[in-house]
Amino acid sequence: MTSSAHAEPILTPPRRPWAPVHRLMELYRFRVLLYYLVVRELKGRYKSSVLGFLWTLLNPLLMMLVFTVVFTVILPNYAVPQYPIFLLCGLLPWNYFSASVIGSIHSVVGNANLVKKVYFPREILPIATVLAQLINFLLALLVLFALLLIFRMPLSPRWWMLPLVILLHTCFTIGLALILSAVNVYYRDTMMIMDVVIMAWFFLTPVFYPLDVLPRSYEVLGFSLNVHRLMYILNPMASLINTYRDLLYLGTYTEMDFFLRTAVTSLGVLALGYWIFVRLSPNFGEEV
Amino acid sequence: MYIRNDRPAPGAPVVDVRHVSKRFRLRRGEGRSFQDAFINLFHRRRRSRGESHFWPLRDVSFQVYPNEALGIIGPNGSGKSTLLKMLAGILEPTEGTILVNGRISALLELGAGFHPDLTGRENIFLNGSMYGLGRGEIRARLDDIIEFSELGRFIDMPIKHYSSGMYVRLGFAVAIHTDPDLLLVDEVLAVGDAAFQNKCMRAIYEFRRRGGTLILVSHDLGTIQAVCDRVIWYEEGAIQAMGEPTQVVMEYLNHVALREEDPAPEEAASSVPAESPVPENHRWGTRRVQITRVELCDDTGTPRRVFVTGAPMQIRVHYRAPHPIEDPVFGVAIHHQNGIHLTGPNTDLSGLTLPTLQGEGQVVYRIPALPLLAGDYTVSVAVHNRADTEMYDYHDRAYPFRIAPGQNRERYGLITLGGSWEVPTGPADACTPELAAKERLVG
Repeated sequence: MTSSAHAEPILTPPRRPWAPVHRLMELYRFRVLLYYLVVRELKGRYKSSVLGFLWTLLNPLLMMLVFTVVFTVILPNYAVPQYPIFLLCGLLPWNYFSASVIGSIHSVVGNANLVKKVYFPREILPIATVLAQLINFLLALLVLFALLLIFRMPLSPRWWMLPLVILLHTCFTIGLALILSAVNVYYRDTMMIMDVVIMAWFFLTPVFYPLDVLPRSYEVLGFSLNVHRLMYILNPMASLINTYRDLLYLGTYTEMDFFLRTAVTSLGVLALGYWIFVRLSPNFGEEV
Repeated sequence: MYIRNDRPAPGAPVVDVRHVSKRFRLRRGEGRSFQDAFINLFHRRRRSRGESHFWPLRDVSFQVYPNEALGIIGPNGSGKSTLLKMLAGILEPTEGTILVNGRISALLELGAGFHPDLTGRENIFLNGSMYGLGRGEIRARLDDIIEFSELGRFIDMPIKHYSSGMYVRLGFAVAIHTDPDLLLVDEVLAVGDAAFQNKCMRAIYEFRRRGGTLILVSHDLGTIQAVCDRVIWYEEGAIQAMGEPTQVVMEYLNHVALREEDPAPEEAASSVPAESPVPENHRWGTRRVQITRVELCDDTGTPRRVFVTGAPMQIRVHYRAPHPIEDPVFGVAIHHQNGIHLTGPNTDLSGLTLPTLQGEGQVVYRIPALPLLAGDYTVSVAVHNRADTEMYDYHDRAYPFRIAPGQNRERYGLITLGGSWEVPTGPADACTPELAAKERLVG
């Protein structure tokens, strides 16, 4: 006796809600799980350290100290006024980005016991890692604001754009986190490669140096390359950090068309990442 | 393709499985790396030869309708758990479609969805959120869940200190209180103690009374028959039988019995060893008399591993006594697999006095009709002196056999007393005078 005798017709074929919408609704339904995973990640990070979450505030201050000593005392090459502020405006967003990316690569594989035994939208895992870092970043920004007051920096007339920039930054980071966490399920080398890539990326992004120190144009095989332009086109992090600096350090307007291009890039990366993740995630249950 | 739909049309099946197949890749090692991928670029052919596939499910279709209780039985490794994981959405079907209408709670593995560092209470929230519940919904059920789990003050302890029984209690308590439309349970309940299992059964009955649908995977055929309306016997990647529980369970058991029977003669033939095959930790004694071989035979003297309730059995004990031994006693014992000692006859208790043993020989214990019900049993054999002060040789639970149900339909308990029923047609209180007197005494 086989099953097909029982199986056939009687039934209307299943009506299917449009897949991406359905998927997003499912993600919304599991928002409480997202909340708990973020809490778990934050709790876990400072579990057995004496100062606990104070490290979130101390860490950027100490790093600022190190970079300031190096680049104003040991290698005083760039004449950047108020270097500590200049640095933090780049370093805090960068730390948020790199910690999120490195942390999320392992997020699916590291939660294999959940992925193999429980159903939930898997994208919650890398997103939770990024959101936990976002909370750290926001706390660290408080330190920056305190320093802005101490150094009596002028406030940008477009300060209200800051939440928007943070949102775009987060979109870009989540997009990349989705791609890398999914690929890492299939190729565990992703982690090793990204360690190096992130380090190179750090030096290629104007975090601790102003973009102006790079030559405007560079001759390669007779072609003249606009280094500044290339940097912004190829490196969304450079654009994002540049925008943070416009708003927080220079206190100037940030150019709208430049901002819009950054927005399009970030949202594009998010969409691409989500698409890749959704394509790869059905097999996570057997691959992790 | 796996589809979940929270708002099903009325009358639609809760689970609709259509032509579902699942393929697993059999891999040599764990994980993959760029290195492998790179090597495989140059060894395409070897790769396709070395990588083999295995299909735990092939073209499986069935439906489960609201308020039904479906049991799934089958041997280990038959793909039952894979099927359940696909229903839960953890594994994706390679081919075919699975549609699930409504909310699922799945109890697939011990402690799945728990975080060991969090307390029981925190885990209720974490686990509840994995079923898609909001915090308010969980808070509203919190007291009920804690009460059901019987964890008491342990609820605020990190669950890494819990016993496996406590894990199950908490897991089941959360799963049953999430008001699912469909509850998937894979074997885990076996871990709890009898009292908690009963409680779970009551909760499952209550859940079904409210209209819930259940899919239960278990090796406990008694539970399956007690709980389920319909049973699927699943084996070798396909549904072997589906239908009324008693019927399917019987077919399954008879199939198991037949298959076990097959290799038995070869085994018996190949295991006529010079040395006894009994492992040392199951054997002790001075060996002044050695039991060299034990055969479980049917009435024709053919060695068997599987018997049928009511059939005759002979236990043949071969011995060797290098030196003369006076007044020996031979005994056998039968244990059920759960450890219950069912019987332990010996020659002394039967009033026999054996002649002095010397050289080789055999002793046979004949059972005219096995009163045992379906299950796994073991035979022990022993030879000792009459005073029972010297054990010559003892083989403890060394010879397993199985009872298949055969024609006997009894299935509660371990033995059948072979009794008969009658319904007297005379006055209803034909034997009451005595009974009434007893009742007066007691009352």
